[in-house]
Order: sequence, then C-alpha cells, then structure tokens
Amino acid sequence: MRFNFLIGGEAGFGIMTSGLVFSKIATRSGYFIFDYAEYPSLIRGGHNAYEVAVSDTPISATIQNIDLLVCLNKETFDKHKHRLNKNSFLIYDPDQFQVDIEVIKIEIPFTQIKNQEKIQQQMLNSVALAASVSFLGGDSKIYDGLVREQFNNKGEDVVSFNLKLADIGREYVEKSGVSKLSVLNLKENPEKKLVMTGNEVFSLATVPADCRHYASYPMTPASSVLGTLASWQYQNGMVVRHPEDEISVINSALGSSFAGVRSAVGTSGGGFALMVEALSYAGIAEIPIVVFLSMRPGPATGMPTWTEQGDLLFAVNSGHGEFPKIILAPGDALEMAQLTLEAFDIADIYQTPVIILSDKLLSESHYTLFKKEIERLFEEYKPKRGKIVQNPSFSPYLRYKIEPDGISEMLLPGHEGEYYQANSYEHLEDSHTTEDDQERKKQVEKRNKKHLTYLESNFKKPKIYGDHNSEIVFVSWGSMKGTLLEAMSCLNTDHQIDSYMVHFTHLYPLDEDLIQSIFSDLKGKRLILIENNSHGQFGQLLRQLTGVDFKEKLLKYDGRPIFYHEIVEYVLAGNKGK
Amino acid sequence: MSNVQFDGYTPTWCPGCGDWGIRVGIKTALNQLGLDPSKVLISFDIGCSGNMNDFLNGYAMHGLHGRAIASAIGMKVARHDLPVIVIGGDGGLYGEGGNHFLHALRGNHDITVIVHDNMVYGLTTGQVAPTASKGYKSKSTPKGIIEEPVNPIVMAITQGATFVSQGFAGDARLTVDLIKQAVTHKGFSLVNILQPCVTFNKINTYQYYLQRAYKLDESYDPYNLTLAVEKSLEVQDEKFPLGVIYKKEKNPYHEQIVQLKEPLAKRDRFTKFESLISEFE
Repeated sequence: MRFNFLIGGEAGFGIMTSGLVFSKIATRSGYFIFDYAEYPSLIRGGHNAYEVAVSDTPISATIQNIDLLVCLNKETFDKHKHRLNKNSFLIYDPDQFQVDIEVIKIEIPFTQIKNQEKIQQQMLNSVALAASVSFLGGDSKIYDGLVREQFNNKGEDVVSFNLKLADIGREYVEKSGVSKLSVLNLKENPEKKLVMTGNEVFSLATVPADCRHYASYPMTPASSVLGTLASWQYQNGMVVRHPEDEISVINSALGSSFAGVRSAVGTSGGGFALMVEALSYAGIAEIPIVVFLSMRPGPATGMPTWTEQGDLLFAVNSGHGEFPKIILAPGDALEMAQLTLEAFDIADIYQTPVIILSDKLLSESHYTLFKKEIERLFEEYKPKRGKIVQNPSFSPYLRYKIEPDGISEMLLPGHEGEYYQANSYEHLEDSHTTEDDQERKKQVEKRNKKHLTYLESNFKKPKIYGDHNSEIVFVSWGSMKGTLLEAMSCLNTDHQIDSYMVHFTHLYPLDEDLIQSIFSDLKGKRLILIENNSHGQFGQLLRQLTGVDFKEKLLKYDGRPIFYHEIVEYVLAGNKGK
Repeated sequence: MSNVQFDGYTPTWCPGCGDWGIRVGIKTALNQLGLDPSKVLISFDIGCSGNMNDFLNGYAMHGLHGRAIASAIGMKVARHDLPVIVIGGDGGLYGEGGNHFLHALRGNHDITVIVHDNMVYGLTTGQVAPTASKGYKSKSTPKGIIEEPVNPIVMAITQGATFVSQGFAGDARLTVDLIKQAVTHKGFSLVNILQPCVTFNKINTYQYYLQRAYKLDESYDPYNLTLAVEKSLEVQDEKFPLGVIYKKEKNPYHEQIVQLKEPLAKRDRFTKFESLISEFE
C-alpha cells in the first residue's frame, strides 16, 4: 500500500507542524512514511506544501500522484491539481474556490468555522488534520495523544479546545457521505519508530559520537542542526556556538579540536566557501574536523530552500594545496546515523577533515527509523580515536613523525614536559617550520599516504541494490537512494523491468581498482547516471579517478528532487528507442 | 623548574625589530607566572610577529592569517583550565581578522591578545596596515592611505574587553608587567604593543614613540570608562598612553556556558541518549 497525502496553505499557517503530526500519526499507527516539504525563503506569505507518502513497507521517496489533497487555500489546489486523478480525494472549503476537475470531494467550510469559533488561521490545521486522519481510518486516540503532546505546555484549555476543533473536522467527514478508507487503520503492536529528518539524525548522532563542540553560522538547509544541538546542550554538555561568520566557526572548531575535543561545523555551500582556507589548514596541521555540508542550489545565494547535489566537486576540490580529505554522503536517515558516527572516527583516525554531504532533500525530509535499530547502533558505538593520545609513546615526542601509514601520534595538549605546534607552514617532524626540499617531500608523502591507508582500512565500496542480472543499471550517490529504490520497485511491479543500482556513500577518495572491477563486470549493460545537478559531477569524478564513463545521464537541476516516476519514464522512453 | 623552556629557535627578525623585545617580554612574564611551555596554549597569527611560533615554545597553533583569535576561542572552549594567548600583528588581528577581534571583545573571551602594532605589513615587505595614520605612504598606497586608522583601544574598551592596555616595544619592563596582568586577568585582555618596524616604517620609529608615548601614572583610574575612552582617543593627537588603560570585572565567556564545569576535554563522555531519541517517536 502506498498513499500520498498533501496539505498546503499560506506560509505561516502552521502547515509544517501539521505535516509532521500527520507523519507521526502514521508511524505510531504502524506505517512507514517519507515526507517532503516545499516552502519559499520567506517567513510569511508564499506557499507551503507538505506531502507525506504513507506505506506499509519502508519508503524513502515522494509519490507523484496525490491521493488526498487538503487545501487550506485556493493556491494549494491550483498548484497541485495536476497531480490529482478521478480517484483522488480533496478536502477543501467550497466558499474559497470551485473545483473544476473530477475528484472525490469532502467539503469543510474552513472560513465559516474560523469565524464561528473565532479562531486563528493556524487552528484550522487541527480541523483539517483531524478530518484527514478520521477519513483515512486513523485511530482517534493516537491523534488526541499527539494533540496533548503538542499543546500540553499551553495548558488543558488549549488541549481541550483543539480536541473540540478535531471533533468539528471529524463531523464534516461524516456529513460528506464519502466512505472512509483504511489507510491509517491501527496495526497490532506497531514497532516503535522514529520520524526524523537527515539534519535531526546528524544532530542526534553527534551525541554518541562524543562531539563536544559544534559551531555553526545559520544557513539553510543546515540551520536546523544548530537549533537542535543548541537546545540539547544543557542536557548533554556539548558546547554549541553561533560565531560571527563561517571563518570563525571553523577556526574556532579547529582550536577546540587541537585542544582535545571532537568538534564539528555545519553549513551550506556559501558558508563552506568561507571555510575552505581553514580546511586546508586542518589538512597540513593534521587537525581532525567534521564538516556537515548540506547542499542547496547555487551559485551564490541560489535557491535557499530547494535541493541540489551541486557542491560535490567543490567539496572534493575544496581548500588550496594538496591534502587528504574524506567525503561521505549518506543515502537516507539510517545511513546518516551510521556515517555520522563513522565520520568522527575517521576524522580522528586520519587527523584530517571529513565532509558529510547532505542536501535539502535529505536534510529536511522526514524518514522512518526503527527506534531499536538506532538505540542499538548508539549503544554499540565506541569512539575510535586512532593515534590521538594523552601520553606520548616515545621521546622526544614528534608531532609529525614519519610513519608507514602516514599517521603520526597526536598528543593532546596539556601533557607535562612536552609541547608542539599545529603548524600551517610546512614543518619538520618536530613541527617547526621548514622550507627544506627533502623535509617538504617527506611530509607531502606522509599526508598523501593517509588516503592510501584509508582506502585499505575504511573505504566502503558502493552498495548494490536489486537484481544483479538486470540489463539496466543505475549509478548514483547520496540522497538519490530512496527515489531510485522506489523507481526500481515501480519498474519491476508495474512494467516487469528488472534493474539494479550501484549506490555510493564513500565518495572521495575512491579505490580505482575496486571501482574499475565493479564497472568492468557491467560492460554491455545500460548504465544510467542519476544526479540532482546539471554537470553530472559524480560522473566527472568517476571518470577522473577511475576512467569510468557514462553515455546516459538523467540529471535534474530545477531545484526539485528527482521524482521516481521521472526515472521510470526515462527508462521506458529509452527502452522504446531501442 | 620544568624541563621544558620557552626558548625555541633563534629568531630571524631584523636587527633592531621590536619583536625581539616583545618575545623576551612574553617569555619573562610567563616564567614569572610559573608557567612552562606545556602549561600554556598559544595561537600565533601569520606575519613577522606570528613567526614567533618557532622562537617561543608552547602548545601552539600557527594557523591562518587573521584567524588566530578564532582558533584561540576554540582552544579556550576545550581547555578553560589553561591560559590562552594570541600573538599576532595589527594587519592580521585588526585587518584580516578585524571581525573576529570585534566579536571576541563582545564575548569577553578569557584570552590574552598581544598585538604587535607597527602600522605596517613587514613580512610582505612594507604595505600599509590598518593602524597607519591617514596619508601614510607605502607600497600599496603610493599617494598615502585614504582611510582613517582603526583605533583598537577605543574599540576594545567600548565593545566589551575587560582589560585594555598599551605597551611599547622599547620598554621591556612595562611589557612584562602588562602581559603578566593580562594573562592573570579573567576575561578578554588586550596588550597592544607599539612597535617600530626598523626596515619598512621610517616614520613611527623608536624616536617617534619616545617623544610621544607616556606612562599613565599611579593616579590614573583604569576602572573609569569615560576617562579610558578619552585616553584612547589621544592617538588622534599623536599621543600614546602606556599602561593599563581600562579594566572591568565581568564574567568571562566560558563561565557563562552553564554546562561547562570541568574542562570540556577532560569530562566523561555523555551516554544518556535515550531521552533525546524519544523526542522523535
């Protein structure tokens, strides 16, 4: 079962909150959700749309067709009616607009209710949401429970008033005469699930990862991490700061990392552009740092609240000079949790910058996670700090000692009887500045060696999904995973076409031999590169580092995510052409 | 006496450069405070002054031009039990890093910022610095600089610093005294040290300062804000007060981070994730 719900209204109407409540009702009733919100870079005015795909099996993609559209204004209808069909349901206020297409209508006079009950526009959400949940066969206890959680701190009066509004919504569903559906029927003993955005998962995972200093300057779509971590800091002891600019953000994080605490920064492309000089410093001075980079469409200010995978090559090439850096791109919420833990370990083990690449789609969409799985992941995790030590294992201590694996012992400052510098100039093993040709060469080769050690020890090859014998092979990375899985399932079920996916999470550096061997097994198949950008950046990276080339590319760069039906249509059109 | 000493390599500064004296001043002050290189965190900026990284030992970052204050703030966040000292020039700390200077003042971060103020860029061979007087001619300003000089002292006093002082590279005893007071002060402490660049600045020489700088006498009250602002504006008449110009008692930044008790780098790992996870049910 797949069911797509969309609620829309003017920005400031509380659409975002209602959408999330709907998602939680679905997961608490035993289902999986994936939600996706579109909103402009405005605080009031403009159009907000929040859609929730509900399924009884895991889902991480939006659905093109809308099964239930809830319109809190006319614009919602105008903007989304092309996604409705004659079997779609529409909750709307007949006083606001006329419906000129064939759909199944459920009328709720929102304007009239607003005037009668003397309520603010936001409170109509309670009416609309309760009506929707009731119509979809949802359990009213689950709905009421969420209302209590949402308004508890505002007092019993507010709770009971919202429950009264819910009853009004439910009555109109009864009155409409449209028979209710069983989409949200409560399942028996539903397993506990979490509803989390990529940003929330990153935030949460920094806690078991033992990140103790998070610095960030607000920038959509990374900003919510700062807010989440700031609100938790008094509970978990993390120091969460909002310095004057991104340059200060990363240089202060490097300061604390040098002085011994796991540190991270978060930003989007423009802010990252300001950080890259310091990234280069972290490279030569060998200071661990985790950078959470959530992409949005650029260049420059671009489209702040929309999505794109446009900063991959920027991240790969970020920072002047040659130094090792490692780039990880989670494909969904669970991978965000796993890779966040891994990123902090890798940053420490290799004493170098690690970038976690997210984008608006992954950062701000809600995914479904099994609570137990996250609890287990966090409980079993033990930070691995590599060669970061409290006491030096040799004397005299040499901060940049040449080692076969490229990694020197990093003594935490404060140890009595020792000292050293994290030097941004080229340096000797003992950290003093040098311009000697042989010493320079040794240090360059030492730093380069870290990439080789990483490829041997921590690099993970791409994951393969689907039927290995299929002729159609999708190649992609990061947040495209869920959309592709859905496209593959649709191709299989609706069109009897098998396909499979090579999905990369460990983007840079790449193991040339390993990747070449994967792709040499795929010769003769229809390889399609799927990316949410216009340059096919990962394709370029693969060609540069491994020689793998793509003839077919499905690229999308209008600020919207790739929808799975677009992939399906692309595949079908290509098959016809053969 | 510790087995590690502050003396590093022999400096490579020009003969007669004020940096020599400032280095001795810093070293002497730290020794007199009973510190050794393993008990102090230093953030060196980039420039002639920042090159002290190889001449003065400590657990140090020799980072990026203009960013030494930002790094120092991070060091203090992780290890507020250790003194944190920034060593840099007027170009790095008031120019390239001016924004960090301004905001570090606001935070009253418990760091000591020692600025080598020579009104010129030495390491890049003599371009104008933000502290240079209007009209100062240099390689980058052949007809004289158009902008007015920054006034770091008045900025520091009015934007939140709680210890603002000015020294002179020709007065080693004063330098030692100011640095000792600054390092022991709780909160943001500025030691702006007037320093001739013997190679590139032919105007602001030792003679120039000997004629125009004067020591604040014992009757001067550094806790008087209005008086301090007045003193800091004397630079407009080419008068340079030396000594502690302004002082105030105020909680430093790290003491206002309520969750920060024992040093961040030393506390136990937080492991009670359960309540955070449950927020998302």
